[in-house]
Amino acid sequence: MLTKKQEQLFNKVQKPARYTGGEVNSVIKDKTSVKFRYAFCFPDNYEIGMSHLGMKILYSLVNAREDAWCERVFAPWTDMEEEMRKADVPLFALESGDSLSEFDMIGFTLQYELSYSNVLNMLDLGKIPLRSRDRQSLTPIVVGGGPCACNPEPLADFFDIFLPGEGEEVTNELIDLLMVHKEKGSSKLEFLRDAAKIEGVYVPAFYDVSYNADGTISAVTPKEGAPAKVKKRIISDLDKVYYPEKFVVPYIDIVHDRAVAEVFRGCIRGCRFCQAGFIYRPIREKSSDTVNRQAKCLCDTTGYDEVSLCSLSTSDYSGIEQLIPQMFSWALPEKINVSLPSLRVDNFSEELMEELKKVRKSGLTFAPEAGTQRLRDAINKNVTEEEVLSTAAQAFRGGWTAVKLYFMMGLPTETLDDIAGIAELAQKVVNEFYKNPDKPKGKGVTVSISVASFVPKPFTPFQWEPQDTMEQLVAKQKYLMENVHTHKIQVSWHQSQTSFLEGVFARGDRKLCDVIEAAWRKGCKFDGWDEYFRFDKWMEAFEACGVDPAFYSNRRREFSEILPWDHLDYGIRKEFLIEENQKAHESVTTPNCRQKCAACGAARLNGGKCDAK
Amino acid sequence: MQNDVRLFFTKTGLAKYISHLDLMRCMSRAVKRAGIPLWYTEGFNPHLFMTFARPLSLGQESLCEVVDVRLVGEMTFKDIQTRLNETLPKDITVVSVQKPVHKPSEITFADYEVRLFCDIPSALKAYMEKAFSKEQIIVLKKAKQGRRKIDKEMDIKPNVLRFDAATAENAVCLDLRLTAGDQTNINPTLLLSALTDGFDGEIQNTDILKKHILLENGEPFC
Repeated sequence: MLTKKQEQLFNKVQKPARYTGGEVNSVIKDKTSVKFRYAFCFPDNYEIGMSHLGMKILYSLVNAREDAWCERVFAPWTDMEEEMRKADVPLFALESGDSLSEFDMIGFTLQYELSYSNVLNMLDLGKIPLRSRDRQSLTPIVVGGGPCACNPEPLADFFDIFLPGEGEEVTNELIDLLMVHKEKGSSKLEFLRDAAKIEGVYVPAFYDVSYNADGTISAVTPKEGAPAKVKKRIISDLDKVYYPEKFVVPYIDIVHDRAVAEVFRGCIRGCRFCQAGFIYRPIREKSSDTVNRQAKCLCDTTGYDEVSLCSLSTSDYSGIEQLIPQMFSWALPEKINVSLPSLRVDNFSEELMEELKKVRKSGLTFAPEAGTQRLRDAINKNVTEEEVLSTAAQAFRGGWTAVKLYFMMGLPTETLDDIAGIAELAQKVVNEFYKNPDKPKGKGVTVSISVASFVPKPFTPFQWEPQDTMEQLVAKQKYLMENVHTHKIQVSWHQSQTSFLEGVFARGDRKLCDVIEAAWRKGCKFDGWDEYFRFDKWMEAFEACGVDPAFYSNRRREFSEILPWDHLDYGIRKEFLIEENQKAHESVTTPNCRQKCAACGAARLNGGKCDAK
Repeated sequence: MQNDVRLFFTKTGLAKYISHLDLMRCMSRAVKRAGIPLWYTEGFNPHLFMTFARPLSLGQESLCEVVDVRLVGEMTFKDIQTRLNETLPKDITVVSVQKPVHKPSEITFADYEVRLFCDIPSALKAYMEKAFSKEQIIVLKKAKQGRRKIDKEMDIKPNVLRFDAATAENAVCLDLRLTAGDQTNINPTLLLSALTDGFDGEIQNTDILKKHILLENGEPFC
């Protein structure tokens, strides 16, 4: 229950419903009748965190146990933080109102690098010592998972445990183990030694990292019986894995306010820049009956009027032709909208197109990612110009007048011709609109191009590549603008400074722990939010710690270099990534996994099974 | 309309932090979960047809919120109430379901119970009573001049029909009747800030509870 002191803060802040809890389907338990309390933390604000599917899954999964209670914690917005610090109210969980220090396990999901400063801020607000070595009692244990756990080294000093891979099984195993050790009255070290024996548990303190004179890693040495390589966990059968029957239904408008049905994990495409395309392998699909049943159940329990299919590329789902009519049969009469994000343009059947016309038209977005065919081949984005143009033409005939195109700049092997190609492709899309004889009278066309800055990520073929410097990116942005000759094309891009910082942490090592703490002490938080991002403070922190950020972002690594994440095993063979990197430099494509298995190695995590085959 | 149904509900406790816009979403989801056959607008973007009599300010509690919906299938009023209360958040409760009698535009007054928590209630009470005894109570009210939003000076003394103050252990308790309705709605916070303006003690917290909504003749709105 919330205390009067906590409640008094609500009158002083924007959107108090971010902090009140009490939403429909939130789980309230009697804390005296549970043996284990887990605080699931999302290091960003309520609206972002509540949109995250992984949190919904693990929240319900833990709460399905009678002996444990999982609660939600989000980063308070800056107005609330100010009031909390003034009134000395520690960070609390939404369900019980209890502060973080009362929990047995504190779990952070690490979704993007720019949330790292918020992790520290939340621990501090919860009055938890930041560094693992300063937390000597058995509980609370601080764990981290999510995509950034594939290289968690920049956070290694703050966490007791990282959980690379999928969390559904390992979370319960870890809770069971910690519960046993609590009863035995073990020390933290005794627990961590046992935890490290669980597959998919990485205890960073059990690995000594030594460095060469040039700053690269000379060796990573396991101790305390920890395995030399920590293998990520995967769920073998998605039809059998736990999936929530209920979502917490927020009061305030969140980013993705809808029911979500997951259709498959992994991606068959193998775009060489895309981390998600590699770290979630191998492909595992749910049957269309499972997806349909889970979607229907969630709509019934939440009252949502929209359900979205979730995967990395929904049209690659082999059951899509059955699933769509199945879902429409109940959703349309109940006035529930089915939304299908991540559709690709190249593999729609006529029948599916007809079905899709029944639902609300949303925006039309293409992601060619690069401006020329040569570069698209280099990054293995197998979309051709004709495909983009013919789909755009089809959309214009169907009445659309606005199209969004996503690109990246700073890709390996990129030249200024490729940048000009972005503007040219956008211009060709504009031209398609005017070729349409039935175009609506008096209406123009808007082609919005959004250009992200490429950030090389671990476990991709580009993990050895230098990131473009901020100066190079700014010059390319300027060059792009010089090549856009019409107001019908609107250009937007990412701040090069945030991309730079993201690049540093993505491939960073343990030397960055001090930098993150120093930057947080200087007031850095909510780095993903333009209004709070303080690049100058970050640069001061690098300087104070004697760390050169360019070493991580702008340096080309040798294939032989020991990378900070090499002791984590995501199934993907390093030789495969090297081959892919070399093919990129020759602009040679790799067929998608369904056309031909590229032998990436991930299938061995699942006993040789991969649903792409 | 023949099938119009009026729901009276309370919105108390933590539900006071649900804004009006969020409440509409919350209601429409509760109706969907409850499986009540209500009418949806027939547009490209169908949504539940519902009309709230008066919006309630964020942070205020109420015992007398009203929403009108339109039934398109068979369901008893009792059933509607039971099912909705099963699916609504715990601090929102439907207290009655009935045929609408009055039009929302006939709402003229509202009664409020207010508690201002402070260290020396007697001092605050005296201060507020003195402020209230003045001939005029001038406030800045947000208004529109054409499309422009302006702050308008206004005397709200005529809009206060009842002002009874009492002290409790740690608070001043007020019993208020203020004009309500589309044209002359007076938010109690407006009156409170005018009456406490310049008070040098600390007011820790203010609880506002809307108790009744009334017609011009003082009869309850139903």
